[in-house]
Amino acid sequence: MEAEVVEAEIVLPTHLNFKRVQMYEKYPKGQARGRHWKHLKQIIQAENYQNYPPDEPNYVNIESPPPMHPCKRICDITGFEAPYFDPRTKLRYANAEVFKVIRSLPNDYVQRYLALRNAAVVLK
Amino acid sequence: MAVHISALGEDEPRVIFRNIVQRPRHKTTGETVTVVGDHNPALLRYFDCTRSGPRSAFDGNVVYQFEIMEYILDFGFDRLGADQSQIDHPVLITECACNPIQSRCRMAELLFESYGVPSIAAFGVDAAFSYKYNQQLGICNSDGLAICSGFMTSHAIPFINGEPAYEACCRTNVGGYHVTDYLKQLLSLKYPHHISKLTWEKVEDLKMEHCYIAPDYTSEVRIFQKGAKEAEEKTRCWQLPWTPAPAEEQPSEEELARKAALKERQGQRLREMAEAKRSSRINELENDIRGLEFLLKQLKQVEENNVPAFLRETGYASKQEIESNLAKAIQSLRKAKGEQVETEEKMDASMADKYNLVNVPDDVLTPEQLKEKRKQLFLKSTTEARQRAKQKRIEEELEREKQMKMEEEKRLENPERYLEDLRAKYRELSEKVEQRKRLKTNGNNTNGNQNGSGGVGRGERLNAAQRERMRLLTTAAFDRGKGEDTFGIKDEDWQLYKLMSRDNDDEEDEKSNEDEADLARVSSRLREIDPTFFPKSESGSSTAEPPRFRPLTKEDFQLILGVERFRCPEVLFQPNLIGIDQSGLDEMAGVSIRRLPCKNQGLEERITKSILMTGGSCQYPGMAGRLEAGIRMIRPCGTPITVVRASDPSLDAWRGASVYAAAMQFPNQTFSRTDYYEKGEDWLRRYQFNYTL
Repeated sequence: MEAEVVEAEIVLPTHLNFKRVQMYEKYPKGQARGRHWKHLKQIIQAENYQNYPPDEPNYVNIESPPPMHPCKRICDITGFEAPYFDPRTKLRYANAEVFKVIRSLPNDYVQRYLALRNAAVVLK
Repeated sequence: MAVHISALGEDEPRVIFRNIVQRPRHKTTGETVTVVGDHNPALLRYFDCTRSGPRSAFDGNVVYQFEIMEYILDFGFDRLGADQSQIDHPVLITECACNPIQSRCRMAELLFESYGVPSIAAFGVDAAFSYKYNQQLGICNSDGLAICSGFMTSHAIPFINGEPAYEACCRTNVGGYHVTDYLKQLLSLKYPHHISKLTWEKVEDLKMEHCYIAPDYTSEVRIFQKGAKEAEEKTRCWQLPWTPAPAEEQPSEEELARKAALKERQGQRLREMAEAKRSSRINELENDIRGLEFLLKQLKQVEENNVPAFLRETGYASKQEIESNLAKAIQSLRKAKGEQVETEEKMDASMADKYNLVNVPDDVLTPEQLKEKRKQLFLKSTTEARQRAKQKRIEEELEREKQMKMEEEKRLENPERYLEDLRAKYRELSEKVEQRKRLKTNGNNTNGNQNGSGGVGRGERLNAAQRERMRLLTTAAFDRGKGEDTFGIKDEDWQLYKLMSRDNDDEEDEKSNEDEADLARVSSRLREIDPTFFPKSESGSSTAEPPRFRPLTKEDFQLILGVERFRCPEVLFQPNLIGIDQSGLDEMAGVSIRRLPCKNQGLEERITKSILMTGGSCQYPGMAGRLEAGIRMIRPCGTPITVVRASDPSLDAWRGASVYAAAMQFPNQTFSRTDYYEKGEDWLRRYQFNYTL
């Protein structure tokens, strides 16, 4: 290890005195470690919140509902107010110049703009 | 997002670092090391970081990757200076509101098992600590609402008598991460060639420095749309480092003259070489002709009997052959000398003899002669066709010359207008051509990169020809009934492929070829006439690229943040902008109050009178005003609303926790290992923290 790296101490030492079980013992090299961690969705599913009274607050209960206000429509490219909608590319635009720009965009840019709004076509 | 750790009773956290972990491999030794938190990027050049990106232990605001969590805790304890055989003191650790039990359990296990911690008072909610701290400072009252905007989520938690009421808590999955991500995407789409400069850290810095929350999004946007001077003032411009390209010096006069002389000399040399070759060829031909003529003369002198022997010597089969060779040589000589070849007249003269059989009726001729006649007919028709084609070409040339003359006249009489017309026509044509090209390449790209997604990917860009192809594919070929596949038994079936072939795009191609030809003509005219004309580059790439003929200027390296400055934090108030279908911060307050279990008027008023904003993501200028306006819209008219900001939004949670841990009754709130193992998971579920001591 180079001298300056050791001095800067950015690397975690492998053996730590205060630990009972060291990392290298717990996760031996060569084993696939990443796969057995459950993602949030799986954790929530495993919690079985429906078995418990619905009054109790739990992770799923406290999510906020969809908004009451009507959603504001802004232009995907410039951010201005966008009363218009392009049926071919499904983007919202504010005026004719923006429309020209939209129609000249290549397809992957269009999809990325749509993905910002979570409206892209996802093919699995 | 950041981890703050310290021992008891200190004012500032001793160790602060970002809770991400990277596991690069050392380049020379090959071992995998762990690097936690922020680090000097210069030092990382010793490591190969390509296969290991920064990893976070969190999914949303819940810890799920405990291996990474363990690295983080290791690092924290190590930096704190722990070196005994185990961590000997109780640990207070914060979590998110209503943490899933599994996460809690595993965290407790981790702390107990790996570190030997005697007891944990875990699991306080960070927003609650922040609120308590500010309550002590007198900023907010014992009944109030904490709006905590974090990295991945935002919460609204009401407090009654100093304790958080979790039943009325409300969470939206929007946080600082989403704001930064939105800004990053917008800037990358707007400036695609500076994408390498837009790293996550840089964008976050930009966000913290320049973003603000507009008191009303629509009116703010209108200012920008009108292009008023206020908009100019509010626009910020980021100048990237840029060096101007070294200007080409105009070649001096001597240089130009020298280059011209060189070209002249080279041209001269080529011409001389060509001349020499031609003269040598002429000489050769003349020699040949002389030789052949001599031969013929000799032949005449030779007697009849010796003719075959003489001929055998010279190598020619018969007299006719010599004569024909002679004629050919004379002709080539004439051509080399540049004289007109008189094939036309010869043609006319010999036409009569060659086609002697054509006009004779069929029944008079013998079968051989019939064959002859057919051959002659064929020859005649082909030569006639060739002549007709030549005639047409001459006519077309004349036409074109006439048109050119007309154009010249037009130009001479009114040069300005002519130029304008020409320019307009050029622009139209070039746009049409480019668009068609773009559509075609897009269609072809998606057709070509199938990715196993089956057929043409994005269906909206098919034109008529492609649609027709798809239809043929799907109906004719596969729609043969359920039994057996009889495609291919009949020969006509294979014609399908001819129909489908992409080369058969006749209609498209004709139009586009015409347009392109027109374009070429117009651009060449313009180039002749107009000194300021630059043809547009034929790249057909996205319009965001600067045209290549113009040298890159300073402006190309400027990133302009105008509307994005307040469009991105708007996401916190309107998660719809990025497609998340939940309420924004102001509505969350309303929802939270609505969800309160015990409703009485006084309580609600007291709550709205002390609304606290905490969390790292609430530091945007203008947030307090916007929140107040938003909440006023929801609550009944005239309720007193006060929105205050925490004294130190990022660190208050830690300070609150620190104060709490230092209090005397702290040990009562902890639970120990034995407790945990005896009582088990279920008890942990019901374990609630008591914040007032």
